[in-house]
Amino acid sequence: MAYNIPDKYQDLTPAPKLDNKTLNKMVWLSCFLQASFNYERMQACGWLWGMLPGLQKIHTNKEDLKASMAHNLDFLNTHPFLVTFVMGIVLSLEQNKADTKTIRSVRISAAGPLGGIGDALFWLTLVPITAGLTANMAMEGQIFGAILFLIIFNVVQFIVRFGLMYWSYGLGTKAVTLLTSNAKEFTRAASILGIFVVGGLIANYGGTTVRMIVGDTQINIQSLLDGVLPKLIPLLITLGIYALIKKGWTPVRCIILILVVGIVGCAFGIWSGNSQAMDADGNTLPGGYTPLVEWYEYPVPEEAAE
Amino acid sequence: MEISIIQAILVFVVAFIMGIDQFSFLESLYQPIVTCPIIGAILGNFELGVVVGGAYQLIQIGSMPIGGAQPPNAILGGIMATIFAVSLNMEATADGVGAALGLAIPFAVFGQYAVTLTFTFMSGMMAKADKCAENADVKGIRNINFLEMGVLGCLFGILAVAGLYGGSALGETLQNFSYDFSWVMAGLDAAGGAMKFVGFAILMKVMMSGEMWGFLLAGFVMALLCSANATTSGATLILCAFVGAAIAIYDFTTQTKIKQNAGAGAGFVGGDQDGI
Repeated sequence: MAYNIPDKYQDLTPAPKLDNKTLNKMVWLSCFLQASFNYERMQACGWLWGMLPGLQKIHTNKEDLKASMAHNLDFLNTHPFLVTFVMGIVLSLEQNKADTKTIRSVRISAAGPLGGIGDALFWLTLVPITAGLTANMAMEGQIFGAILFLIIFNVVQFIVRFGLMYWSYGLGTKAVTLLTSNAKEFTRAASILGIFVVGGLIANYGGTTVRMIVGDTQINIQSLLDGVLPKLIPLLITLGIYALIKKGWTPVRCIILILVVGIVGCAFGIWSGNSQAMDADGNTLPGGYTPLVEWYEYPVPEEAAE
Repeated sequence: MEISIIQAILVFVVAFIMGIDQFSFLESLYQPIVTCPIIGAILGNFELGVVVGGAYQLIQIGSMPIGGAQPPNAILGGIMATIFAVSLNMEATADGVGAALGLAIPFAVFGQYAVTLTFTFMSGMMAKADKCAENADVKGIRNINFLEMGVLGCLFGILAVAGLYGGSALGETLQNFSYDFSWVMAGLDAAGGAMKFVGFAILMKVMMSGEMWGFLLAGFVMALLCSANATTSGATLILCAFVGAAIAIYDFTTQTKIKQNAGAGAGFVGGDQDGI
């Protein structure tokens, strides 16, 4: 990364409050949070797209807009329907020209936990209830089921999107003015929370495991590793990549390294991975896939044999 | 079944839109309960589409995309189940369409591959996004978003039209292909799951300093403990945020008090100020 994001914006005068038209535009764009979803930064680029109408109004200084755009491309994964809450908070910080480090810490601290809440509220509650109810109507041949599903789902979705945007923007604007007198301490506290949440993210989203079961006694390597420290592999990979980035590696080089290690590793049956492939009878493969080089025998699960 | 060119185009358009909608826009149109009746109508058997949609939706409820994990793709699964049900002229009851759902599974798996490949490829585009940001190139950021939506839409459109013409024979070919090269797709799956660590590392680079290492490990431990317990595992990250907030607020209060007292030579002065 050749461009270094400055700690402070050049123009430190707080920007005027955003008008409702801009906020509404951002709510609509928030529907495209995942438009450029990818494995490295997840929703980062879609997030920035949604934030741009506000950022362009706030940062009239071109250099500040560049800095703001650059740091708004950090890794982000939150729930697509609750994202406007994070947008409102971040907007209020941007408007008050808080330190970039503060904004980055607050953003990840607010976004991370919302992901879990949103999944529980929407994918595990709203969808099963409405879809379960309306699917039965559909199976009796009634199209009204589908229409009812769309109406309920989208009314809830947009009430949440608009409501959270206005609520959190108002809340943030109020809170931020209280904090500006202790900006340095606030940045430090925000970094503590941010780094704490990143530690949590590593354990929570880190799913990388090994698949090897070796020897006559069928030693499960992953169980051995879990005995040392659960989620050891995700932690080690993160620290390894952190070291590489500190050394000046670009994110793209890290991504390519991961891609090569992932595929080569699976050729030798090292990593766990799910190919979702099936044989002619519709049975999934034991262990998720068949390695190119089979140097250990993956046990066939006994339940499946019955 | 005779397929006219107009039907093929309409199927492409529907698959294109749904391919985008599964992650962006309304995030509800793509559900089988909505998609299947539309495909049924295009193929001339609306009622059958409604029934397939209901049946597929019930299967789908158990496999929502949560926390970035991707189950076999509901869109291609739903579209193909409808195509099979209509072309084989199945009975419009929940039991009657069961076989169509099974035939559709290889396509659902390939829909998933299309998503995995797109997400991997777009990880490389983030360097381009960084460049756009450095130049305050607003249109460039927008175009990257358009690019992925276009790529996803086209992949889904092509797969759906290929399924429309290829039918169950193509399904078998796809199944064999994924069976023979399962290690490649598993490798992509494993690599895709690990790419987020790059994002985490970039965040660490911003916030990390000597004394922060302890907090990183504390957060890691907190998440491990919460996720190990069935009653708290669903709320892991919010519980982490609570503990993290407690530490952060305490630190903020202490630091501001130290600042207030600095120079005055006074020791601890009790105050009743709130942290935030």
